[in-house]
Amino acid sequence: MLKLFPDDRPLVDIVKATKVYPPDIVAVQNISLAVAKGELLFLTGMSGAGKTTLLKLICAIEQPTKGVIEVGGRDLAKTGSAEIQQLRQEIGVVYQDFKLLPKLNAAQNIAMPMEVAYRDQREINSRVDELLAILKMTHKREIQTGKLSRGEQQRVAIARAAANSPALLLADEPTGNLDQDSANLVMDLFEQLNREGTTLIIASHDESLYRNSDYRRVQLEHGLFTNHSSPRQLPLINQ
Amino acid sequence: MGLKSYFHLKQVGHNFRQNWPTQLMSLLTVTLSVLIFSFFLLIYLNVVNIGARLGDELRLVVYLDNEVEPALQPLISSKISTYAKADKILFVSRAEAFIRLQKQLEKEKDLLTDLGPEFLPPSIEVYPEKSFRNFTRLKEFSDFLATLPGAQKVQYGQEWLERFGYFTELLRVIVVLSGALLVLATGFMVSCTIRLTVVAKESELEILRLVGASNRYIQAPLFFEGILQGVLGSSLGLTLLYAIFIWTRTHLGGSTFLNQLEYTFLPFSVTAMIIGGTTLLCAWGSLLSIRKHMRI
Ligand SMILES: Nc1ncnc2c1ncn2[C@@H]1O[C@H](COP(=O)(O)OP(=O)(O)OP(=O)(O)O)[C@@H](O)[C@H]1O
Ligand SMILES: [Mg+2]
Repeated sequence: MLKLFPDDRPLVDIVKATKVYPPDIVAVQNISLAVAKGELLFLTGMSGAGKTTLLKLICAIEQPTKGVIEVGGRDLAKTGSAEIQQLRQEIGVVYQDFKLLPKLNAAQNIAMPMEVAYRDQREINSRVDELLAILKMTHKREIQTGKLSRGEQQRVAIARAAANSPALLLADEPTGNLDQDSANLVMDLFEQLNREGTTLIIASHDESLYRNSDYRRVQLEHGLFTNHSSPRQLPLINQ
Repeated sequence: MGLKSYFHLKQVGHNFRQNWPTQLMSLLTVTLSVLIFSFFLLIYLNVVNIGARLGDELRLVVYLDNEVEPALQPLISSKISTYAKADKILFVSRAEAFIRLQKQLEKEKDLLTDLGPEFLPPSIEVYPEKSFRNFTRLKEFSDFLATLPGAQKVQYGQEWLERFGYFTELLRVIVVLSGALLVLATGFMVSCTIRLTVVAKESELEILRLVGASNRYIQAPLFFEGILQGVLGSSLGLTLLYAIFIWTRTHLGGSTFLNQLEYTFLPFSVTAMIIGGTTLLCAWGSLLSIRKHMRI
């Protein structure tokens, strides 16, 4: 899985990126951030600070107005659409609004990234079962996601993002609808993925997720980084 | 490759469940267009066939005032041959004409007992070469034959031939028109169906993109779908035509003259071409539609 991403460079390298939405909403301003391979990074900040925008820049859903976004050593602005698609197979994303297909059941939704990568059907089934079990969702396997509660939908979205054991996982407010127990399950899954080599960027308000850990944390405020507290300080920050 | 086809076929099935009324409509349109086209083609080919068989018996008959003496026959033969090659030139005397008539009448032979061969004119029968069997050349040939010494009248069924020629021509036009209809209707329906599928699947396609589906992953099922419609639609249309053909042959036989002509179904090569052509057409229509509606 890691063949797309060389070891000797940051997995994600954002250089002086600015995103302005029309007409003149500045969501992210002159931000620089490097995320090393194997890191688990928290992105915090108030509502409207620009967290979602930053994640969208990293997975090429939005293009920066200024600056450069590099993922796996590739400048996204100079990467063709076919290669972007290939890159996306290596990036799992938990969207803030989930982006599930309501007519498909939980298992079918989770299987999508693996089908797109032409995985073996048995492998797909066992991975789906495994993820459902980890998130305590096995009994909802065959239920259309449109009929699930928000919290259940969120866990399906998380399982889908994790399905391919991606090189990079972006999670936007992944525990926003979850009780403490479920949130802990999710965090356990993320840490397990991280141990297996996945790099994670988690955008969250939920202090309990990072309170007792020493993961690096960067905070956005009105599109700018304000503090970057963490004992595990790494290179980066806005200059 | 097998694994990939499996995913694509699974998608085809999925699309069909999601969107089957439109797909069925489109399939029926293909079927109906193929049926109409191949129906006229079948009639046309049979008419051409009949024409060719009648053409084999085609001859020009030159009625004469007097019999040609055997000594002169080679001379006249060679004179005719200088104008146009003939497969066969036959001199029919009054007596021979009379015997033929007797044979034709058989049971009513007694009708002729009071009559002698004198009332029948002698004639020369010219069987022109194949290359001469077209309408204008026949007419010129017959004009030439009319100038032979002692020739009274030349007959070759001109009126009948003319009508038959027009009829074939008309059929040819109809075949071409229904072929155009086939192309237009099929191309239109297939591309429409694909557009509707794309619209129905818009949110799904967006999410497929987000999880990294390649263009091929997204487009291949739609392409398969077009091909499938071509193969199924044309096969179904031809099967229907065959059923109609068999039914007509058994039920409309009777004692009419239709029964005496033997007619045939479309030869295998033509059916294969219709199926192949329709499939190509559908593949082409779906490709165009995919390109147009899925700008990435
Ligand atoms: N597509 C868009 N068009 C215009 N403005 C947008 C768009 N998306 C985001 N914005 C604006 O950009 C700013 C940053 O939004 P963003 O969604 O990145 O914030 P966020 O940190 O994710 O907030 P939250 O915690 O509420 O999810 C906001 O002011 C938002 O209104
Ligand atoms: Mg957000």
